This record gives sequence, structure tokens and C-alpha cells, in this order.
Amino acid sequence: MDLFNNLIFGFGVALSLQNLFYCFVGVLVGTLIGVLPGIGPLGTIAILLPITYSVSPVAAMIMLAGIYYGAQYGGSTTAILVNLPGETSSVVTCIDGYQMAQQGRAGPALAIAAIGSFFAGTVGTLLIALFGPPLADVALKFGAPEYFSLMLMGLVAAAVLAQGDMVKSIAMVVLGLLLGIIGTDVNSGVQRFSFGIFELTDGIGFIVVAVGVFAVGEIVNNLGERQERRVLSAKVSNLFPTWQDLKASAGPIVRGTGLGCFFGVLPGTGPAIASFSSYMLEKKLAKDPDRFGKGAIEGVAGPEAANNADAQCKFIPMLTLGLPASGVMALMLGALTIQGIQPGPQVMTQRPELFWGLIASMWIGNAMLVVLNLPLIGLWVRLLQVPYRLLFPAIMAFSAIGIFSVNNSAFEIHLTALFGVLGFMWMRLGFPLAPMLLGFVLGPMMEEYLRRAMLMSGGDPSVFVTRPISLAFIIATVLILVVMVAPSVRKRREAFTD
Amino acid sequence: MRTMLLFKVAGVLLALTAVATAQEYPTKPVRIIVPFPPGAINDTVGRMVATHLSNRLGKQFLVENRAGAGGVVGAELVANAPKDGHTLLIVSLAITVNPWLYALPYDHAKAWAPVAPVATAPNVIAIHPDLPFKSVKDLIEAAKKQPGKLQYGSSGVGTFLHLGPELFKLMAGVDILHIPYKGAAPAMIDVIGGRTQMAFGSIPSSITHLRSGKLRALGVGAATRSTTLPDVPTVSESGLPGYEAANWIGVVAPAGTPPAIIEKLQKEIALMQDTPEAQKQFANEGAEALRMSSADFGKFIASETVKWGRVVKEAGIKAQ
Repeated sequence: MDLFNNLIFGFGVALSLQNLFYCFVGVLVGTLIGVLPGIGPLGTIAILLPITYSVSPVAAMIMLAGIYYGAQYGGSTTAILVNLPGETSSVVTCIDGYQMAQQGRAGPALAIAAIGSFFAGTVGTLLIALFGPPLADVALKFGAPEYFSLMLMGLVAAAVLAQGDMVKSIAMVVLGLLLGIIGTDVNSGVQRFSFGIFELTDGIGFIVVAVGVFAVGEIVNNLGERQERRVLSAKVSNLFPTWQDLKASAGPIVRGTGLGCFFGVLPGTGPAIASFSSYMLEKKLAKDPDRFGKGAIEGVAGPEAANNADAQCKFIPMLTLGLPASGVMALMLGALTIQGIQPGPQVMTQRPELFWGLIASMWIGNAMLVVLNLPLIGLWVRLLQVPYRLLFPAIMAFSAIGIFSVNNSAFEIHLTALFGVLGFMWMRLGFPLAPMLLGFVLGPMMEEYLRRAMLMSGGDPSVFVTRPISLAFIIATVLILVVMVAPSVRKRREAFTD
Repeated sequence: MRTMLLFKVAGVLLALTAVATAQEYPTKPVRIIVPFPPGAINDTVGRMVATHLSNRLGKQFLVENRAGAGGVVGAELVANAPKDGHTLLIVSLAITVNPWLYALPYDHAKAWAPVAPVATAPNVIAIHPDLPFKSVKDLIEAAKKQPGKLQYGSSGVGTFLHLGPELFKLMAGVDILHIPYKGAAPAMIDVIGGRTQMAFGSIPSSITHLRSGKLRALGVGAATRSTTLPDVPTVSESGLPGYEAANWIGVVAPAGTPPAIIEKLQKEIALMQDTPEAQKQFANEGAEALRMSSADFGKFIASETVKWGRVVKEAGIKAQ
């Protein structure tokens, strides 16, 4: 009953006129910056931080948090409509979301993204309220060996689940790994493949690659097709998901939320892993995985729920341990300290109005986002009726502005253009883009964790099997391999006996 | 004759514009380049300076983050900018380390017209609370008994969190293994989780955990105790006399910027350091105001460059 009372108390705080206002401003600003690629919550919060000094800590945190998860929301809108990932976490949404839009189902895609996110946000909020501190201790149990084994499992699962041309998929994963190691080696500080270009010493930004291959590549591809531009105006079927859509999405949303919460609690996983894993899982569970990549609603519902749950649960280590999982969380931590609040388990008891007010406001913010977004779907879909000759320059311009705003660097715009050309070539040659991005995300992290684990163990590889959590992931990896390989072995045997 | 006259006129005009620039400066919005991403201490200090100068000098001072290569990307941009005071650079300890790590695209000894330092923040040796060491002396003894066994986490090769402990190792004659991370936050997580034993972090990145007891401070790398952590002894007091390692933040302009403009900026920064807002922010960052004339700041940068260059060489740190 304590929880109930606490939540009531929290809602009392969050529903005050002032806090509602800041919540609204936060999610609105967040949605807007989420729509643009590149310019994300990090830059926005850094700029707005000084403004928050003058308001109460609760209001400040409510607004900053609103910007943060509002951005996760907004990022999916452009991903679905024009294949432009507004945020890192919405890259996966591009794959099936954009295909749905191409088939005139942008409305259901947007709606399911909003519903999935809202469900995930609700569960995430409850999770923080119920199990915040104990879950945070899980985060501390994950060291380099645990993260490595976890990611190994992910990569093996991805490889096993690869569809279509196996050789092409593996080639793209390896290419992604190679692109991922460009930059400064974490352990030795040595430059790899930077060719003396200082802009490359910190590696290539994920958003640069993603916007390049998805948004720009798609535009080049569309313009290359001589026939009538496939503008979607002709066959917008319905704005809202059908009963069937909802039924198909329910499972993915629940599973995506679970995955998102799991990864969200671990500060050492990046923003894209939760949505990637959800996508792979749904593809595996689907009866006809061939639909994926061609507009499967499950491929939107799961990842969208996953990325919102992930974003929400990143607050657990931050609020209860003072451990920031990302740059954005570090900034919010900074905002708290400037207000004279020390994050930690004691926040719940010493500043209950802050802790419970923030949690309640998250739920209110998520609800606001649904209310904000559902009526807008009609408007968004109508946006697609804009003739392509007007639409594509606008997408290019927004991409360029967004990419530039990350680092104020023209070099990164050139890089995006380069990846646009590459993306076009890959599309034409039938190379899948998702495995490349997965390799790009997981590769450098796996390398970092593997080498750190080895460095700390003095070169003894047994750390991966002597530590229980790591061992569990290794066993799971082996099981995945056995389960996946066994049927094909049996098939071969049958073929032999025939 | 005519050419002579022309030269004279040109000379007078030039002199006039120089005077005019100093008096009327700034004539247009000023870019303050922060060579690190948003949220870093360079960024928060840069924004504080920008807000103050915008309010006082009547034109906008805009912060631009140009991260990359430990600050080299942003520094290169300012080194090649017009020398009219409308492009400034926020510098930190990194600017004195980079000459030893990278083949710089500018001449580090001649590229800058120093304006003023803003703040300085020492490091703090924070260990996992289960370790038995009560002082820096205990730590040194333990490290001597088992060389290479203890480990410290840093935010990456060549960063402040790497150089501070390397200086410590050289001065104490001990071997502690370096474990690099991407940033200070993950390095701290592993100290708290007990996977590494210590980190020589900045006060802000450690203070939350020091107060909650998840980390224990052995010493602060400054000549005097920190006002933010008054109970923590200096490293000198605690067992390694003379050890000082502080990150500092300051402002420079491209070399050749008119001295009058430099002076104007230096005075404004000095005024800012006394404002209550600045004092509050310094306290939050675990920092203290660092006051120097522009000339002294130049000498300070030069001496820091020598100090950390020695550490880079003797510790065998390499980037390229």
C-alpha cells in the first residue's frame, strides 16, 4: 500500500499547474528535437540547463526528463514517414516502419509506435517505483566479462537469425565491425584507419552512418527510379491500426518492453541495443519471418516499446546510484547536483517529492505524448502527399542541419553524403543494411569489453566462465547455436538416409 | 612619394581600426569554441563565461561544441580563425598534453594569445571502501608489495584521469595497472562495483559516491585542502609530498589578437569570477577560481606543458 500512497503523493506533486506546464514544455521540445536527426536531447539539455537553475528542482527534472523521452518518441515519426532516423534508437524503426508507410500504412505504424511506447513507458515507470534500488544493484554486478558475454550472445543470435543471402549478411556485419573500429583504440590510444584526419579520431558517429544509408540512400534510390515517384497519397488505407494490427502487436510490445527494461537497467549498453534485440526476437518468433523488412507491424511495435522502456529504465541507475548511463543522464545528474541534491537511495526518503513527483510526471508525460501524437497522425500522413520533388530536398536539408548540429562539423555532412552513396549501392546490390549497423554498434563495444576483461584478469580467459552471470550468457549462446544448428543437421541426416 | 603617402595613410587607417576594434569590441556575435562535447566541465565553464560576457559586452557570445581528438579539432579551428577577438577557445589541461600525443596541425607554442584562466579543480584519489588503506601512505606501501596488482580506471589514454595517476606512480615509484574506459562514468562504476580498486577522478565525478560511502577519498591532488571536501587531506599530507594534479579551464584567443581586446576580456572574466553565480557553480564543480594576468596565464600554460610532457614521456604514453 506504500507504493499506492507514494504514487498518489507523486501525482499530487506532478499535477500541480507549474509542474504540468514544465512537463508539457519538456515533451513538446523533446518531440520537436526528436524529429530532427542529430540534434538530440544531449545538446538541447546542455543549452537549457542554465534555465533550470532558477526553477524548483522538481520542475527542472520534470522538464529535462520530458525532453529526454519526448525525443525518443519524436525520433520514430520521421523514421516511419521518410526513413530518416531522428534518434539513434529509432534506426530499427526505419526498417519496417518506412515499408509500412510505403504501403500506405503510415497511420497504423505511427499509432502502434505511440501505443507501444506508452505501454513501455507505463511499465518502466512502475518498475522504477517498485524495484528501483534493488534493480540498480544489478547494474553494479555487470563488469567487462558480463557485458562481453551478453553481447556475444546478441551477435550470435543475430548471425543465426540472418535471413536471405547468408554470405551477404555476414559480409555486412564484418563491414560494420570494420567501420566501427575507426578512431582511437581505447586501450592503447593508437589511431586506427583515421588516415591523419582529426575528425576521424573519435570514430564515425552512428547517426551519420544511419542517416546516410537509410535517408540519403533511399532518396538517391527513389530519384534513380525513372517511373512515377511512389508518393503514398494514392492508397492511404486507414489512419488507425485495425483489430488485427493490435492483436499482432500485443506480444511484441510486451516482449519489447521486457527487453528494454533489462537493457535499460545496465548502464554499459548503448541506446540501439534494446531495439535491435527486440527486432531480432520478433523476427525469430514470427511464423513467417519473410514479412520482416517488408512492412511487418511487429517490427515497429517491438523495437519502439523496447527503446522507450530502455530510455525510462536508464533513470534507475541514475536516480538510485548516481550512475549515468549516457551523456544525457550525466547532464541530468549535473542538474541535480547543482540543485544541491545528491542522487542515491536516500533521494527516495530525503526528497520524496522529487523522486515520486518525477516518476508520476513520467507517466503523465507519456500520456501527454500519446495525446499529442495520435491526433497529429492525420497531419503527418498528409505530409506524405507533398510531391516528392518538394519533399526530398526538405529531408536532405533537415538531415544536413541535424548532422551539422551534433558537432558543428561540415566534415560529418560530407561523411553522411558518402554513406548515402554507399547505402544506395548496397540497396541496389541487395546487401541488407541492418546487419551492418548491428556490427557497427556491437563490434566496438565487444572489443572494448573483451580487451578490458582480459587486461583486468591478466590475460586469463577463464573469467568468462568463472563468473556466474557471464557463464549464464555463454551457456545461453551455446544453446542458441545448438537449437539453431540442430534442425539443419537433422535435415541433412534425413537427406542422407533418403 | 605617392606610394609612401599611401603607405602612411594605410598605416594610420590600420592603427585607427585597431583602436576602434578595442573600444567597440565586440562588433558582432563572438564564437566561443568548446573543444569537448556538451556536459563536460569545459562546456559548463564555457557557457558560464558566454552568459556573463553576453550580458556585459552587449553582443552575443555563443558556445559552439567542436569535439574531437582530445580537443585538437576545436583548437585547430581557433588557431586559424581571424585574430579579431571574435573567436575564442576554452582550453583545459588537455591543451598542454596534446602536443606530446598528437602531431598538431598548429604550433602549440605560438598559436595562442592567452586571455585568462577561469577555474581549477584538483583530482581526488578515490578507492573502493572495502580496501584496507587509510592513507596515501598505505596505498603506496601496498602497491610496492605487489607491483602491477592494483588497478586504476581512467577516462581514456592521455586524459586527466590517466595523467594524474601516472604522475603519482612516477613520484611514488610504484606500479599500478592502467585500465582505460570511454569516459569517467564507466570507470567510476567499476571502482564502485569493486572490479578496479581506484580512480583519480575530478571532484564532481566522485563527490556523489564519496558522500554516499560507495567510494572513499584518500587525498586531494592540490597544495591546500578543497573547500568542497574539507575533511579529505591533500595527497601531500597523506603520504606523497609535493603531489599536485589539477585540471584547469581558461580562455585563449588566436595569437595576434589586439592586446586591448585581450585586456578587456581578461577584466571581464576577473569580474565574473567574483559573482555569486560563478562561486556557486565553482563549488558545485568542486572547483576554485584561478586568477592570473594574461601574461602569467601564458607562463602557466608553458610550465604545465613542460610538467605533463615529462609525465607523458616517462610513463611512455602514446597516441599516434
